[in-house]
Amino acid sequence: MGAGHAEQPAAVRVRHLEERVLAAGLASDGEMDAVLARLYAHASPLNGARIVARAWSDPGYAARLLADGNAAAAELGFDTAHAGSGYRLKAVANTPGAHNMIVCTLCSCYPVSLLGPSPSWYKSLPYRSRAVREPRAVLAEFGLDLPPDTQIVVWDASAENRFLVLPARPAGTDGLAEKELAALVTRNGLIGTAAV
Amino acid sequence: MTLSPGTRVRARLADPDHHTRVPGYVRGQTGEVVEAAGQWPLPDDRARGITPPRVETVYSVRFPAAGLWGSGTHWVVVDLWESYLEEAG
Amino acid sequence: MSRGHDIGGQTGFGPVPLGEDGQPFEHDWEARVYALNGVLRARGLYSVDEFRDAIERIPPQEYLGLSYYERWLRAIETVLVEKDLLAVLETG
Repeated sequence: MGAGHAEQPAAVRVRHLEERVLAAGLASDGEMDAVLARLYAHASPLNGARIVARAWSDPGYAARLLADGNAAAAELGFDTAHAGSGYRLKAVANTPGAHNMIVCTLCSCYPVSLLGPSPSWYKSLPYRSRAVREPRAVLAEFGLDLPPDTQIVVWDASAENRFLVLPARPAGTDGLAEKELAALVTRNGLIGTAAV
Repeated sequence: MTLSPGTRVRARLADPDHHTRVPGYVRGQTGEVVEAAGQWPLPDDRARGITPPRVETVYSVRFPAAGLWGSGTHWVVVDLWESYLEEAG
Repeated sequence: MSRGHDIGGQTGFGPVPLGEDGQPFEHDWEARVYALNGVLRARGLYSVDEFRDAIERIPPQEYLGLSYYERWLRAIETVLVEKDLLAVLETG
């Protein structure tokens, strides 16, 4: 079965549902457009990267980030606690001996505003099922081979914590400005499936 | 019930007949409180339209992989509402 | 409740599909589903837990075969009908 066949029924059903919802006055085109506009305009891994770069540059900020993620994000202008989709931002720091990675086994919880829309693999059955059981094998598929004595901690986002991994600052980056540091940080680094 | 970091807890074995947020793989398993993660409405109540829902402390609890799967050296941290937990002593 | 979504630790799903790492939505209809849910939730027509509950009640043999946003679509349809906000939908 080709992708076109798989797509057709869902696309038709969505159009049908949307028409019914709009006719019933449960939503409007304008509201729907605004939801997508907000996603595309504000949700980005660049936000998480800015938080990480600040933490690498300012030990005081790093301490505040680990103590209260929401307040530290707000310092940089990111609102993570607003009504409706508020969550507790929990930053977890990688160290030379410990590596953190994030999963949501029950659905696909994820701090979209700070990491951007989640990648398909994060929502996939293999990632959701395997990350908690064999994280080392999963990380190897991402090309991340950790030393055997590195302690791996897998955080399953089963409640209202949304996690952000604070990667270890790469060696040889002492002279870099915060903007340059932010450019080193990848979305996968913020999830813990890459070193940075 | 206030559980301080380090307290040993067990995720309840109960498998209620409605929405809940206990992953099956920790049910009946013993772990250790990492920290409290704030007070949040109980999903079991909200999913059933019970208003107001109970509001409880959520705890981040870490479980050793060897206990969950019989092998492995990693930790798995799961966030669990207070009523999902009992003290393991 | 033990349901089809509760897959942490299950084996046999194969390698992580690393190729699927591009745009937020693979198809236009997925963006419409995302937007619909965003508006309906913002209006308070259902809670996130009612939405998740509807996803989790999809029979496991179907749940595992549906894509992420197909599950969302099914859940929105279910919740709106159950709350009498829309008459029974023809989903064929």
